[in-house]
Amino acid sequence: MMKRWLSHPVVDLALKALTRNRLQTGLTLLGMTIGVATVLAMMAVGAGAQSSIEQQVRAAGLNQLTVRAGNWRPKAEDTGEAVAHQGDARDTLTLPLIPGLDGASAERTVPSPSRALGTPSRVVGSPDALADPDSRRPAADAVPIAFHPEDDPMEKHDHPLARQRLGDLEAGLGSAATLSFADAQAIKDLPGVQYVAGGVHENARVHFGSKRWFTRMHGTDVEMPSIKRGWTLLDGRFFSRREQEKAAQVLVIGQIVSDKLFGPGVKAVGQQVTLWNQPFEVVGVVTSSTWVVQPAPGDDQFDAVYMPYTTTHRLLNLSKLNDITITAASSGAVTKLARDITTLLRKRHGIGDNAPDDFTVLTQATKALTTGGLPPSVARAVAGNVAELEKVTLEQLATTLERASRTMTWLLAAVAAVSLVVGGIGIMNITLLSVTERTREIGLRLAVGARTRDVMRQFLTEAVAISVAGGVAGIIVGVIAAVVIARTLNWATVVSPLSVVLAFGVAALVGVFFGWYPAKRASQLDPIVALRHE
Amino acid sequence: MALLETRDLTKEYRVGDHIVHALRGVSLGIEAGEFVTIVGPSGSGKSTFMHILGCLDRPTSGHYLMNARDVSTLPPDELARVRNEMLGFVFQGFNLLARTSAVENVELPLLYTRSGVVKASERRRKAMDALDAVGLTDRAEHHPNQLSGGQQQRVAIARALVSSPSVLLADEPTGNLDTATSHEVMEIFKSLRRDRGLTIVVITHERDIAAYGSRTIDFRDGKVTLDVLHDETLAQPSRR
Repeated sequence: MMKRWLSHPVVDLALKALTRNRLQTGLTLLGMTIGVATVLAMMAVGAGAQSSIEQQVRAAGLNQLTVRAGNWRPKAEDTGEAVAHQGDARDTLTLPLIPGLDGASAERTVPSPSRALGTPSRVVGSPDALADPDSRRPAADAVPIAFHPEDDPMEKHDHPLARQRLGDLEAGLGSAATLSFADAQAIKDLPGVQYVAGGVHENARVHFGSKRWFTRMHGTDVEMPSIKRGWTLLDGRFFSRREQEKAAQVLVIGQIVSDKLFGPGVKAVGQQVTLWNQPFEVVGVVTSSTWVVQPAPGDDQFDAVYMPYTTTHRLLNLSKLNDITITAASSGAVTKLARDITTLLRKRHGIGDNAPDDFTVLTQATKALTTGGLPPSVARAVAGNVAELEKVTLEQLATTLERASRTMTWLLAAVAAVSLVVGGIGIMNITLLSVTERTREIGLRLAVGARTRDVMRQFLTEAVAISVAGGVAGIIVGVIAAVVIARTLNWATVVSPLSVVLAFGVAALVGVFFGWYPAKRASQLDPIVALRHE
Repeated sequence: MALLETRDLTKEYRVGDHIVHALRGVSLGIEAGEFVTIVGPSGSGKSTFMHILGCLDRPTSGHYLMNARDVSTLPPDELARVRNEMLGFVFQGFNLLARTSAVENVELPLLYTRSGVVKASERRRKAMDALDAVGLTDRAEHHPNQLSGGQQQRVAIARALVSSPSVLLADEPTGNLDTATSHEVMEIFKSLRRDRGLTIVVITHERDIAAYGSRTIDFRDGKVTLDVLHDETLAQPSRR
């Protein structure tokens, strides 16, 4: 259809006609260009605001969820004990603030909020303590955690109950490891999911020559860097998908580990370190990308080493995941996603309607709520009683911000659209003028056999040609304007492909709309009258 | 059977309050290959008759048959098709498109052929053939404002010829031309009739121009008052 239209010689003629009246055509084109450019630039400004809001929301991690194996919640009384959750299966938010008293923690050489659990206030106050599920280690009722930094993790896992013990103690969740890689895969297939990374967590002692450092080991997924927006690679790279597939013995180390083992400023990438008596090659050093989070000894992110979870599985003879970290494509969809994940996993794990979950879905909202320096008892009370509410509030804030900025975008576009209408009237004007000026020509065309639709097509083509040319010019000018606005005013601007397509489409539509009437008038001329027209 | 036949054509216009009777019952047959000149004072209805012959207008009553087919009641698009395929027009004011070369002007009717789009190369070839018939191949790329009146009218004739019509209709084709050029143009008509067997109808109010026809019809007050077949000295074109 379009091709036939374009190949028609009448179209060619229409375009030639436009070049006859250069000044008029040029001015009309200018009007159209300004219209389209304004719409595009305004939409870019609006979308820029929207995306910067979205980015801030994402950086805050509001779109992040964690599914943890096991399901524990604190008792109402602060007794330093946690009990298995027996209640409503839908209540998935858990704040295991209550650490088991870890006798060994006092002996730690490095006081770490994530490990020195003897002081609950530090847990609450530390940024990552609540965010990261494995930083919490509620004690199983009767089993005191007896862990000594000098313990050899390998030896521990030689124990026949090693897997069980990982679930119980090292995963720290007081439950058998219930999450599998297949669960992670299934979650990945849910709509609205952006990234998924399964995780296995351990404590590990890393040796380099005579130096050793006791730190956190995270077996994780190649997608982790995409999830951790606060990360940047100081040197090297993250491990690759290929390395993950082959369970390669590669290690990405946190900046603190690098400093402690190799010394500050010394290149760690390419070095061989030993972990569980196995050689590992250091491929990357990771550190924080924002000033908000500073790497510190004992933190869970940068005083840590990362390897493919497959490597962890292979070396420790494991098959389960401690947790699965998920990011939602939209921060407003976290609640829905949390619900979907719960439904999915309950189905996969074959949990009956009245049985409690054997996992915990945790959103970042919890973290945001409790990192404000609230006393632990207060935070716990809040978390325990208004779990759903808090989860919703922050998310709604994000949704509201997004919605507001979207409204602003459309408002700006609507205002700019007025100039597009003015451009359209210009097109109508020039087309009407062109019809009047060329009445005799129209008469002649009719006389030599043009049908009404041929004449219609010719003038409509002229109008659309101007509007489309104006649209293309407007898109170019609009994009330039967006860049200039971004540079000079320092506003975020985003020219989305959608807005370009939209601007172009609207321009073409304006041509058809405003060209229709003059073209119709031209096509309905009486050939005899038209031929006599002076 | 006449190529063009009218039966009791009438045409009425409403001008303000009163009705103008432009044609009051015209019945004529024009054979293929005839060169008809139509004369008459202004307001005699000759132009109206020509418009109906040219399928630009429809009669108020009566019938117009072309090749025995009644075209007086055809819808506009069908009339356009008849104009495109059967008829060629030459006007007093040439009606060439400005800022468009002679050959492109001649190509114009080929843009509207119903039997599918004519290829650009084919259009160009046909247009050059038509220009050749009027002896203007060397001016093909000239624009109308670079051509004399006579040359412009010849381009217009070439345009009328390009779609190989069977009838050529000319409304005062010499009205804007000087005497010498007028005769040149009429000679072209004559040769076209002779060489191609074209049926030609020319409106004029000059008797010496009318004398070129094989037949002259006088119009007055919307009626045919005189219909004369001339003694033709030149060979009668073969009737097909």
